[in-house]
Amino acid sequence: MTAETRKKRESSKYSRIRRIILSRILVAPFIILLLVCGTLVYYFSATLHTRVNSEMIRIVDDHRNMIDQFLVERTEDLTFIANTTRYEVICRQQRLEEIFAMLQKSSPAFQDLGVFDHSGNHISYQGPYDLEGKNYQDAPWFKAVKEKSVYISDVFLGYRETPHFVIAVQKHENGVFWYLRATIDTLFFNNLVENIRLGKTGEAYLVNKSGIFQTKQRSGGRLMAVDPDFADAGGTDGRIITYSAKNHEGNKYRYAVGRLHQTYWQLVVRQDAGDAAAPLIHAVLVALGLIFLGGAVVVVIAFFLSSNVAHRLSLADAEKREMTNQLIMAGKLAEVGEMSSGIAHEINNPLQVMKAEVTMIGDLFSDLPPRSEQDRENFDLIKDSVNQIGIQIDRCRKITQGLLKFARKSDPVIRKISPADLLKDTLGMISHQAMLDEVSIKTRIAADLPEIESDPSQLQQVFLNLINNAVYAVRETRQPEVRIMADMAEDKVRIQVSDNGCGIPDTELEKIFLPFFTTKPVGSGTGLGLSTCFGIVENLGGKIEVNSTVGKGSTFTVFLPRAKARAKAQAGAGAAG
Amino acid sequence: MSRIQLLIVDDEERFLKTTATLLEKRGIASQTASSGEKALQMIEQIPVDVVILDIKMPGMDGIETLKRIKSSHPLIEVILLTGHGSFDLAVTGMQLGAFDYLMKPSEISQLMEKVEQAYAKKQAMEQRKLENLASAPDASGAAPCIS
Repeated sequence: MTAETRKKRESSKYSRIRRIILSRILVAPFIILLLVCGTLVYYFSATLHTRVNSEMIRIVDDHRNMIDQFLVERTEDLTFIANTTRYEVICRQQRLEEIFAMLQKSSPAFQDLGVFDHSGNHISYQGPYDLEGKNYQDAPWFKAVKEKSVYISDVFLGYRETPHFVIAVQKHENGVFWYLRATIDTLFFNNLVENIRLGKTGEAYLVNKSGIFQTKQRSGGRLMAVDPDFADAGGTDGRIITYSAKNHEGNKYRYAVGRLHQTYWQLVVRQDAGDAAAPLIHAVLVALGLIFLGGAVVVVIAFFLSSNVAHRLSLADAEKREMTNQLIMAGKLAEVGEMSSGIAHEINNPLQVMKAEVTMIGDLFSDLPPRSEQDRENFDLIKDSVNQIGIQIDRCRKITQGLLKFARKSDPVIRKISPADLLKDTLGMISHQAMLDEVSIKTRIAADLPEIESDPSQLQQVFLNLINNAVYAVRETRQPEVRIMADMAEDKVRIQVSDNGCGIPDTELEKIFLPFFTTKPVGSGTGLGLSTCFGIVENLGGKIEVNSTVGKGSTFTVFLPRAKARAKAQAGAGAAG
Repeated sequence: MSRIQLLIVDDEERFLKTTATLLEKRGIASQTASSGEKALQMIEQIPVDVVILDIKMPGMDGIETLKRIKSSHPLIEVILLTGHGSFDLAVTGMQLGAFDYLMKPSEISQLMEKVEQAYAKKQAMEQRKLENLASAPDASGAAPCIS
């Protein structure tokens, strides 16, 4: 009895409920998940930042000390030689060779060794280049060492035309100065710094105070080239500063910079910010993955949960609605039943009087002999008329009796019966008429239909009524067909009577079980058939449903319990007392 | 047949009149009463074999009347007439000792048939009672009241 529009409204209502539940279930875990992951990522990033910084500071500090140490040692090597060797001795090639060999034993970083007089003439030289006799009076290192007595140069090309740096010491002997100079193997020195690694992109290099590379930069800066990203670390107090900056190409780097103690060079350790943040990105990715994974799980669970709840709700609602419908229908029918039994009674009394009167008139007329031909004709007419009154009284009686039958709470006579046999019997009663009407009746009765406990004569009345109605409904159909189907639906026996007839419009569908509702022409039906069926089926603990589409046909479905449930009995029949 | 003493009880005056006339024409003389109270009075005054009793009447209804008739005159047979749908009431009536019931509207012929059957039964009962009395005269004092 549910209209299509109502179904649509219902389904949209439940999908709305489902959405509400779904969103509520989803929002809370998502917020929590986001908070947890957000907090974790925040703290992790803070820790990571500190860790990266301290790691870089540590590297700078360690390596700066190492380089300083190296330079101090090399300088001390030279100072020691200058202090322990006299000028005349060291000027001898042989002696220089011995000393150089000793130096190289001390550190393989020494590439060559040279002795210079007070005016910068290269007196004696031990090394791979031919530099003897050259004058260095104007070389920057010579000027510097004259001033400071110990000097470590920046990397320069010099006469040999290859990048190198030198350590020079001044010696005062017998009123004259002489100088000892050693070149440090660029490759060796370079390795000291260049091999420092940090992450994927982390690198270390030395620049002098004008930003010239003193060692190669792994990411591309050549020796003696100008560092495009140079920033002065400031003071000589040994502080290591860290900062983030974009390089000339616009990539962001983390920097840690510390100045050496021995020279003006600064050790730069830098790492691509992305690389430095790689663990963070990794953590964020993991967090995001967790959010998505957890989210997916939550979504799936929430989806099933909400669907389930909405489904249960809709089921409960449908059940409630059906119960309400049945109650309303039962109430309606009870009211109508009470009323109709009252009416029937009130009408039966005058009918009884009328009947007596008609009999009386009949009696009187049979006692009255016609006195003429005219009388006889009139008498016949009057008798016919009185007869007709008798017939109409009988018709009224049938109606009132039908009403009383509908209203009556007669106790069903419960027996074990086979619904299949009952259906076949009923069909037997109707097949002749159906054949005459050229209606094809098709039956499909499940073989495993169990026996049920019910009232056979009342059920037969129900089936007869339904099948008769179906046959009536197809009277104007081109290929009239009535289908009767019986099977089990869950624990109930389901009997369906379908036709391909005219169908019942929605507005009438609600009334068809009410007494006196009929679509048949006046006189063809009392309109009590379906209401009686309804009363009987309800009384037997079953249920009757109808589905209909105008122009396509109707299906009446009767559900019968296998044994009558006492509690449900007599919901539909009217009170007759 | 003409000896049947019939009492028809119904609140419908016209029905009483017409039915009485019809029955009379068919050889059964009858008295009529338009209420339960009147009927009870009448059975005290005149001999009655069979009562046709409408169940639904204003004042004392058919069932109550039946009870009283049966308690004061157990041998009188009562045929219930009901326009009502409830078989329950009819069944109650039967349990209270009514001979049978008829649904309104009923044919005069049905009515007559029932009346005759009831009368026959009553006669049989009286006969048996007489026989009993004859065979066990000592029991006369304990016999149910027949005035």
